[in-house]
Amino acid sequence: MVAGRQKSIAFFIALGAGLICVIILLYVGWVLLNWRHGILLVLGALLMAAIVSGVVLNTIFLVREIRRNAQHDAFINAVTHELKTPIASIRLYLETLQTRAVDDAKRLEFYSIMVDDSERLLGTIEQVLRTGRIGVSSRRLNVSRIDLGGVIERCVERVRTLHKVSAEALAYRPGPPVTVVGDPEEVQAAVSNLIDNAVKYSGNDVRVTVETAKVDGNYVALRVTDHGPGIEKTELKRIFRRFYRVPGAVATRVKGTGLGLYIVRSVAKRHGGRAWAESEGPGHGATFVLKLPIVK
Amino acid sequence: MSRILVVEDERHLAEGLRFNLEAEGYQVEVVDTGEAALKVLRPESQPFDVVILDVMLPGVDGFEVMSEMRQRGQFVPTLMLTARGHPDDVLRGFAAGADDYLTKPFELAILIARLSGLLRRREWLRASMNPVTEPLAGPPALPDERFVFGDKSMYFDRLELHVREQVFPLTLMEANVLRYLIRHEGKPVSRKAMLEEVWGLHEDTDTRAIDNFIVRLRRYIEDDATHPRHLLTVRGVGYRFVAASLP
Repeated sequence: MVAGRQKSIAFFIALGAGLICVIILLYVGWVLLNWRHGILLVLGALLMAAIVSGVVLNTIFLVREIRRNAQHDAFINAVTHELKTPIASIRLYLETLQTRAVDDAKRLEFYSIMVDDSERLLGTIEQVLRTGRIGVSSRRLNVSRIDLGGVIERCVERVRTLHKVSAEALAYRPGPPVTVVGDPEEVQAAVSNLIDNAVKYSGNDVRVTVETAKVDGNYVALRVTDHGPGIEKTELKRIFRRFYRVPGAVATRVKGTGLGLYIVRSVAKRHGGRAWAESEGPGHGATFVLKLPIVK
Repeated sequence: MSRILVVEDERHLAEGLRFNLEAEGYQVEVVDTGEAALKVLRPESQPFDVVILDVMLPGVDGFEVMSEMRQRGQFVPTLMLTARGHPDDVLRGFAAGADDYLTKPFELAILIARLSGLLRRREWLRASMNPVTEPLAGPPALPDERFVFGDKSMYFDRLELHVREQVFPLTLMEANVLRYLIRHEGKPVSRKAMLEEVWGLHEDTDTRAIDNFIVRLRRYIEDDATHPRHLLTVRGVGYRFVAASLP
């Protein structure tokens, strides 16, 4: 399937290039034959420029559409997996409890596993729904004043219990208290996604720091630093795209839908802020920054 | 006690499977990557009786593990268990050499029934197996366990097809398909009937999976796979096995 897409991309690029060559050859021939007619020459040059740019644009859009389809497929696969796996697990444990004699200790363990799985399921569903809502630009933000420190505190606490990491492994160093104006739910989702990612991608060696600082007087920057696998320079921007997941082993080890960072970036934009990633490359960990305007 | 290998990276599912399979009286080992699976499946380590294999694994995925196993000549019955239920994925699983395929979420009872089905077939094969390991030299195998046609003989007990000097190891499902066709020698057999009788599938499964098996079997038993003389296509119906090579 992937090979097929690569082939059709190559085909359309070759077709575009071929058409442009033909047009240029025709035009040069025409110029050689009609070099006396000045106005026609100018007109012809303009027309040809239009045709060439048309062909170039058409090729770019086609290639882009093919790429987008490929990403969409990958997304459907990832979401299918993220939805079906927890359901399979919950169902397996329910059927176990239904059909077998399970002692009390095991039964309690099974209950907590099912709670974890339903939590994971809910997380995926919320992520997908939130992406849908963010996509609708007409929707007004449900704005209020938010104590950012409190939001971060809650998110850190939630991720600690969810991934069972200690306070040392996931450390929070609060800066001066700041208030931002925005949609509490969205801001919380963005903060939560960043912290969650940092822990998820760290694997077994979780060393994550979450800190805030005022920058440029009018902004607050939330910095989430991990010592995980790091990010290639060329990928730093792409990872914020919708459905995008870095190709390779890390993305198959860490399951995800490719929506988390897209939500972070969208939320930052909608609140007049910015989100970006910094990394010295693979093996050097990464820092994700969410910058939001503050109110005094 | 039958030994089952569970290759599953989702910890919750793996532990749930372990609990249930142990309750059924199986001995269970769980690994969470394709690499680890290939490591414990080495011929020198203790053999497994059946393998449950997830597809979406970190690193080497389930399809690759499956074909790698078969290429190495390991024919332990394998059930692929995955969230991907698209016909293309199912076909890819069978093409890689899987014996059975189940999509998540699954019913516990069905999973256990299919596993015991795979184990049962293996037991039957073992029970009818000859204690003498020297090929061709021992007493003749049970009539149902050996079938000779032309210059080829199929040993169902060893899952081996001997063509003149060559020996082709077959997977359990390939052997079962061939056995079914041989039992109905000379008569056309529909794809649907094969799915029902060989795989025990009753739903409207895509019957093209069968065609993959036939293509592979033809590669072994036909001298010229493009002009089959034993495994004939019956247009609109399915296939027909003819023991006597047609002129």
